[in-house]
Amino acid sequence: MAKTDGAGDARKPLIRIKNVSLSYGNFKALTDVSVDFYAGELVGLVGDNGAGKTTLIRIISGINPPTSGEVYFDGERITKFHPKKAMDLGLECIQQTIGICDNLSVGRNYFLGREPVKRVFGLPFLDKKKIRETSAKVVHDFGLRDTVDVDDEIALLSGGEKQTFKIARAVTFRNRVIIMDEPTNHLSVRERAHVNELAVQLKQQGLLVIYITHDIFQIHRIADRIVIMENGRLVTDVLRDAMTAEALEGIIRDGGRAPAKGPKVE
Amino acid sequence: MNVSLRDAVRRHPEGITISLVILISLAFAVITQGGWLSIGNLQSISQVTAILAIIAFGEALVIATGEIDISVGSVSGIGALTFLGLAPMVGSSLALVAAIACGILIGALNGLFVALLGLPSLLVTLGTLFLFQGIGYAVTSGFSFAATDSLRQEFVYNVVGGGNLAGINTSVVWVLIVLVVLQLIVFETPIGNRILAVGGDAASSFSRGLSVTKIKFGVYIVSGVLAAFAGVLDAAFIGYADGSFGATMELSAIAAAVLGGCHLTGGRISLIGTLFGAFMLRGIQSFLILLAVQPQWYILVVGLIVVLASLADRTLTRFALKK
Repeated sequence: MAKTDGAGDARKPLIRIKNVSLSYGNFKALTDVSVDFYAGELVGLVGDNGAGKTTLIRIISGINPPTSGEVYFDGERITKFHPKKAMDLGLECIQQTIGICDNLSVGRNYFLGREPVKRVFGLPFLDKKKIRETSAKVVHDFGLRDTVDVDDEIALLSGGEKQTFKIARAVTFRNRVIIMDEPTNHLSVRERAHVNELAVQLKQQGLLVIYITHDIFQIHRIADRIVIMENGRLVTDVLRDAMTAEALEGIIRDGGRAPAKGPKVE
Repeated sequence: MNVSLRDAVRRHPEGITISLVILISLAFAVITQGGWLSIGNLQSISQVTAILAIIAFGEALVIATGEIDISVGSVSGIGALTFLGLAPMVGSSLALVAAIACGILIGALNGLFVALLGLPSLLVTLGTLFLFQGIGYAVTSGFSFAATDSLRQEFVYNVVGGGNLAGINTSVVWVLIVLVVLQLIVFETPIGNRILAVGGDAASSFSRGLSVTKIKFGVYIVSGVLAAFAGVLDAAFIGYADGSFGATMELSAIAAAVLGGCHLTGGRISLIGTLFGAFMLRGIQSFLILLAVQPQWYILVVGLIVVLASLADRTLTRFALKK
């Protein structure tokens, strides 16, 4: 079943998920999910709790390997699933519950896994000056309080500040894909608007942005395409303009059972 | 003022222990009318502190990743037995290598079960503690190893705890070397940053591309090596080892690390604090000996200190991290 993404059939998908399933013992978290994602698009991944959204992005970001099925990045099949591999490919994921270590400083969290080093007698030591200066510039550019000292433990930040930090970290490294899992949780109204603007900007810069949310109305305003999941299956994959937010909400409310009416993508 | 005190406590958790050590030392010196502070006593305390601290440093690294290594007492015993058992035949250098190799192997065994198979470290290392204590008793089966006179003349034997440098046992030099090296690795290098990160939040560390398995495996190897090395240093100093060598050392090592400001939940450790923690425990032990108090009271005192330390630690952490 070749996907035809109305926008441009000739384009090669940046990420291709083909017949992917994931089971934890007897529990099937994902069942036969196939979906393509293209560079330069903002995709809203929507569904109720337990729909399998987070599971799908855990596979894409290398945290869990699929039980069966294939994942392609830029045409190449992924055989080794590890977050390091995903990061090396230029994929950054803003996870909902994980991603920062409370015991480390803001700066050390910023560079965790790709720490800058300076060589002393050939040995790799942390470049603390660079850690401090770069991370301070980034977090303050993203609107963190001036009183936030990047040498302080990140545990001292509020929930919203931590979320802002994660977003700042994800978008300032050179990436090709940004995945945001419920990025506006814990955020104020103004911060939400900022995150949504940012998602659009990143897309305009040519990145693939996958935006996971419960809020169909919020994502319908900014996404190019909406993918709805339910019970571990992909139930709807439509261009934004093809359906109203209300109609999409109906699909989610009915648990994906109602066949998607109208010009579905297939 | 309040804020800066909080910052100080947060950034230097070992400060409390160091202050306590100074106070206790003064008190001991006064009570024993200088006996505790005599050169001879301090030499003896520094040697036993060095042995304990080297083991406790390895323990601190494991604690940094949020795990625990209870087997270190037996590992130091195996290190001591291997060294003194082989040295008369193959010489100190080869015996040292063999002892370190034992440390690596036991560390790898612990790492295999904890890091690769994901079993609880408390159980795994409790098992290896008994296992290698048993092997130690079996190998010696009632007899013991002692250093021969020719062995005592060997240069390497003297370097690894058998001799003195400027009046102090060479193990004191070793503890300082190990401290400096580990301090740099843990707090100044990427690998150290990752060790602390894994202890702080393993799932988050993994999501940032870290290999949690390799890091945990690695700290168990280091812990095994340091414990075996400490066993060698102590065996060379005493010149004698039997199956009971290193027994209960694991408890003192964990106590020293906790006293020194290492959090058993992982992610926060202090190596300098651990050194002072070891010194405090050994200082108290020496004090009790000078007062001719029965040795079992030492265990009671250590237990009391550890309980109080964990209480104080939690209170201080809450204070320091209060928003």
